[in-house]
Amino acid sequence: MVLRLKRIPVTLAIVTALRCSASLAAPYAYISNQLDDSVSIIDAEKRTVIYTVKLSGKPAGIAVAPAGDKVYVSTPEAHGFSVLDAKSHGVVNKVTVSEGALGIAVDHEGQRIYVADWYNNTVSVVSAQTLKVIKIITVGESPSGLIVSPDNRWLYVANRGSDSVSKISTETLTVKQTTAVGKHPFGIITTQSGDRLYTANVESDDVTVLDAASMKPIATIKVGSLPYAVTLALNDSRLLVTNQTDNSVSVIDTETFKQMAVIDVGEKPEGISTHPDDRHVYVANWFDSTVSVLDVKTLQVVDTIKVGEGARGFGQFFSK
Amino acid sequence: MKKSLLFLPVLMFSFASVANAHGPVRQKADQEITINAPAAKVWGIIKDYGDMSWHPAIKNTKADKGNEIGSIRVLTLDGGTITEELKKYDADKMTYGYKITEMSTAKTITHAGNEEKVPVLPVDNYTANIGVEAKGDTSVVTWKGAYYRAYTNNNPPAEMNEDAANNAVADVFKAGLANLKTLAEK
Repeated sequence: MVLRLKRIPVTLAIVTALRCSASLAAPYAYISNQLDDSVSIIDAEKRTVIYTVKLSGKPAGIAVAPAGDKVYVSTPEAHGFSVLDAKSHGVVNKVTVSEGALGIAVDHEGQRIYVADWYNNTVSVVSAQTLKVIKIITVGESPSGLIVSPDNRWLYVANRGSDSVSKISTETLTVKQTTAVGKHPFGIITTQSGDRLYTANVESDDVTVLDAASMKPIATIKVGSLPYAVTLALNDSRLLVTNQTDNSVSVIDTETFKQMAVIDVGEKPEGISTHPDDRHVYVANWFDSTVSVLDVKTLQVVDTIKVGEGARGFGQFFSK
Repeated sequence: MKKSLLFLPVLMFSFASVANAHGPVRQKADQEITINAPAAKVWGIIKDYGDMSWHPAIKNTKADKGNEIGSIRVLTLDGGTITEELKKYDADKMTYGYKITEMSTAKTITHAGNEEKVPVLPVDNYTANIGVEAKGDTSVVTWKGAYYRAYTNNNPPAEMNEDAANNAVADVFKAGLANLKTLAEK
């Protein structure tokens, strides 16, 4: 039976979004290693790789089920995604979706998996229970990053080829609105309250800030060269952006929209996600095949963890 | 020569699109070489972005703004031209980075019923950096590239797949570094 998401009280959904779900012990970071056909599982307490799962199909996108029990890994060359069991570390399912599967997200109730297709300009909605495609929604060109609003009502899609963001109603599974952002948006994130969206625009070297309700742009923030993905930390007060060709992460004060620091990381940083402690941020460095651990309070790199070849970690790669 | 006559119009109208979509998997190249010469001498050979004569495959180089960021250089090879933009330059660290912005077509093939233009270097969205590091009296030169295969859609032809891209870039790096070693150790 499909849970009617719209009837979930908003407060409950927000509690889930605040990363308070008391399910698993240590948080884990799941890093897709595209050139190695594997996923590194990092124990974020020990900051070490505890296991590497072999997974064919050039893994790229990552989404972790809210309960932390399943990890969904998009596999573009296998035209879909794999389901990892977080406890056994085994691949328990391989799901064929479509030929250009890349961006992936899971809703806050763990009921649906959303998969963006790079070639077909679509987002497929997959039931987490049956692993069947429920619906295919046409969006802009080369949809990339996906993020579900904290109240679970909306799915936002960064359309790289169309320089836009689509807002999809999770109730009707139709596009409600599409809005223009900077050039070639790739990564996208929402605040914990869901009031704002941020996109990393690869070709215009900036971040677009959107008001999520109206989908109107609030600001454009210049960052480094070829920004790729975004995350928020310290109660949404800091925005962190990976700058691919600068080998750095821009830290932005979300009140003033000013860049307050640039932190050097590894070469070609890509995926970026915030530890459930809301203070540490993990960055996958594609060229170096490492993960940099940043402390957003001190603005320092506090650790560097070796992972597999071609680390991408595109998506929300932390378990809570 | 017949071939070069055919080549010219193609060259004028077709450039590899670098801002293109890339569903395919990004590839990397990473080569280094140890040279028995001081780093300053090795850097002296490669430091001018507008002069790539140290590479045996490059017949001519023209840069519009020298070592200034944004400087555009056009490399002439046997098979055509590659246009690059200087993205980073750090003389203290003896390193610079650049990206390919345009390429001429080396040949046109038919694949899946369509004409496909194979660029001189069969890659897409290519960035690279080269740097020299002192190791006592010797130096280590590292050349790194990140790129996609030339064919941006599904099911690439052999001339435009990952192997073609990786082999081509590896050949460029190896030949360049080997010659750089020869020049520096003279």
